[in-house]
Amino acid sequence: MKKERVRKWKLSNIGEFLRNSLMAILKGEFLLRLNVGRYLIHIIYTFVLFTLVIWVSFMIDNTMVKVENNKKTLEDLKAANLQKTYEYVSLTRRSTVGRTLEMMGSEVREASRPAKVLE
Amino acid sequence: MSNDRNVKKKKRDRVGVVLYTGYLLFLLATMVLIAKLVWIQVGYKPDPKIKDALTPQVTTEDLDPLRGNIVDCKGRILAMSCPIYEIHMDCTVRKSEFANAKREKLSTAKDQNERDRIIAHYDSLEQKWLTKARALSAELTKVYPEKTADEFYRLIRDGRENNRKYVKLGEPVDRNTYKLMLGFPLFDEGSNKGGLIVKERYVRRYPYGELARRTIGFVRNNTDAEVTNNHVGIEGKFDYVLHGRTGHESFRTTDAFKKIHDNDSSYVQPRDGQDVHLTLDVDFQELADKALRTQLDSDRVVNETCLVLMEVRTGAIKAMVNLKRNPKTGAFEETQNVAIGHKAEPGSVFKTVTLMSVLNDKYIKDLDTTLPATNGKIEGTSIPADIHIPDFARQHGTNRISVIDGFKISSNYVYGTLAVKYYTKHADKFFDHIYEYKLGDAFDFDLDGLAKPTIPARETEGRYKGSWTPTTLGSVGYGYATEETPLHILTFYNAIANKGKSMKPYLVESLGDGGNGSSKRGPSVLNSSICSPAVADTLNRALLAVTSDGTAKWSLRGVKCNVAGKTGTSFGTFPKDERGASAYEDKSGRRKYQGTFVGYFPAECPKYSVICSIYTDPVGHSSAHQGGGIPAKAVKMLIDGIFNIDPSLAETVSRVEKDEQR
Repeated sequence: MKKERVRKWKLSNIGEFLRNSLMAILKGEFLLRLNVGRYLIHIIYTFVLFTLVIWVSFMIDNTMVKVENNKKTLEDLKAANLQKTYEYVSLTRRSTVGRTLEMMGSEVREASRPAKVLE
Repeated sequence: MSNDRNVKKKKRDRVGVVLYTGYLLFLLATMVLIAKLVWIQVGYKPDPKIKDALTPQVTTEDLDPLRGNIVDCKGRILAMSCPIYEIHMDCTVRKSEFANAKREKLSTAKDQNERDRIIAHYDSLEQKWLTKARALSAELTKVYPEKTADEFYRLIRDGRENNRKYVKLGEPVDRNTYKLMLGFPLFDEGSNKGGLIVKERYVRRYPYGELARRTIGFVRNNTDAEVTNNHVGIEGKFDYVLHGRTGHESFRTTDAFKKIHDNDSSYVQPRDGQDVHLTLDVDFQELADKALRTQLDSDRVVNETCLVLMEVRTGAIKAMVNLKRNPKTGAFEETQNVAIGHKAEPGSVFKTVTLMSVLNDKYIKDLDTTLPATNGKIEGTSIPADIHIPDFARQHGTNRISVIDGFKISSNYVYGTLAVKYYTKHADKFFDHIYEYKLGDAFDFDLDGLAKPTIPARETEGRYKGSWTPTTLGSVGYGYATEETPLHILTFYNAIANKGKSMKPYLVESLGDGGNGSSKRGPSVLNSSICSPAVADTLNRALLAVTSDGTAKWSLRGVKCNVAGKTGTSFGTFPKDERGASAYEDKSGRRKYQGTFVGYFPAECPKYSVICSIYTDPVGHSSAHQGGGIPAKAVKMLIDGIFNIDPSLAETVSRVEKDEQR
């Protein structure tokens, strides 16, 4: 029966670990030694997600800027509508209508007799 | 052996070397990046100004709601909010830009010629800007004609020299003018190059001008200590409906320094104010305004006046004109609500109250009941004799006068006698009637400021505190010693037209836009029966007698439908030191007339009731300012105008009859 060897960590082992890690980094084998090759696609996917989120945030900000610009346009149109409404209503005053008709040469005047309602 | 080594060297390919070199470069860049990140997080302290500029700011702004409209009974807008634009100018735009650029270029100039060229170039830029400013001044004078083009140019040039960044160019303008100004020289280059600064705000505008302005009212937003009432009219009373709710929105700055909505902060949507729908009809309002102003056209004595039209069946006020003379200009303006705020002795229009009381209590059977017509003195009182009674007796060859004749000639003797004769021992009963007829209290009304009538009362007995004598009772009987507002008198006469049912006058039909959030107000009853229909018919006969054969006969002659009504003339009192023979005339014998005509039409089937009251400055004897003068004439003009345009008063003809006529 083989006895299981219990590895005891010494200070020199840490140094060796660091040296091996550095060499692996320099050789470009660090991730391979950690056996993360099978997760490479996940890492790449994560980075793609990060990129997408950042890109979508930019797009959202740009869209929000358009929303604010459209709000300003809407406010301007509301103001224009109010101004037009005021001008239009001012023209419906009875005496104003009479004056306008007279100015335009119309013979229509205020009623001098009541209308007859046909049953 | 050496061949093996050469083969091994050849197997080490170039692609591998290039990739490995690229990998090393990326590795180096990563190391630098990590070191930089650690340094920024731990050691770096940025310039505070740069830090503030680059830190996204979250700002909160208030979102003002749009104030609701006030509309008439047919939905026509009487008051609305419109934008106006305050135009200012930053006169220093580009000044520092030119100066800094010039300084920079001069510092690198090689010789004097180059320096001269640089100075000439930037001076010409400054001159071009000033030339555009001169062109702008020429355009501005078309918008603000009170200043010449030279004055505007001096204003801009001096502002530029004195570094003034906020120069007011003129009064706020409407949107059309603002859009026009955006095309002016300099202004068309924007605020950074042209210096245009615009501030938009909303103000209240009235499409129908001065019509019903006092009824519509206003809200003052100042804190002037001299002004005590900042909420006037419908605008003031219903400010809580019209105002709406202010909202709040937070904004943050994007990386491109644009401002956008911040979703992480709270957002309160503003709620626009609701509309207030009035019972007024602006066509009737214009007719009433024109009728009153036409009668006052050449008058110099009338100080205040009002004309109110009410719908009999509901109490809805269809027109309310309040005019007060401006002491400086002499023109009549809607600055005070005379109809509800001015209480005065009503005069002869109050005789109908006495007549209704004696009829209700069955002290007289009908209008043909007679009283002695001798000297016109009311027994038991110190009231001066009515001089019309001996004249009546002489003209008619009789020594008796009927109640209806007394009503027609508006005799103080007849109605003072009725009050004294039947109510001396039961004065409480008479005053109870006055309160039943809603002439003693200020009821809840859609406008603030309805004055409480003044009714004299007895000190010791009954519910009333004060002091009265038979003289006072007699005075009350013909319309003195009490104070009523025109609206109270109109409400009383409206009840007669409505067969005894007293409706509360109201101005506001509903609140809101007709949707789920709207609330309907409407007719309400003050007193379901102040008199029986029979008594109302009797009074109607008396009132018809006044307009057909009495004090209003001449003024209402030719009116387009039958009108039942009463004239009333009373006089204002003078301070003690100005009095002449009595409290009602000054030392020159002049009097302050208070003329009233009140009635309803068509008399056969009343649809509208109307009152017109005028109040004059001291004047000598004037029949024009009595109730049968200006007030009755204004009412006639109004009735004729309404009759022409109101289809409900029009004659109905059957189609068969019309075809036969052809």
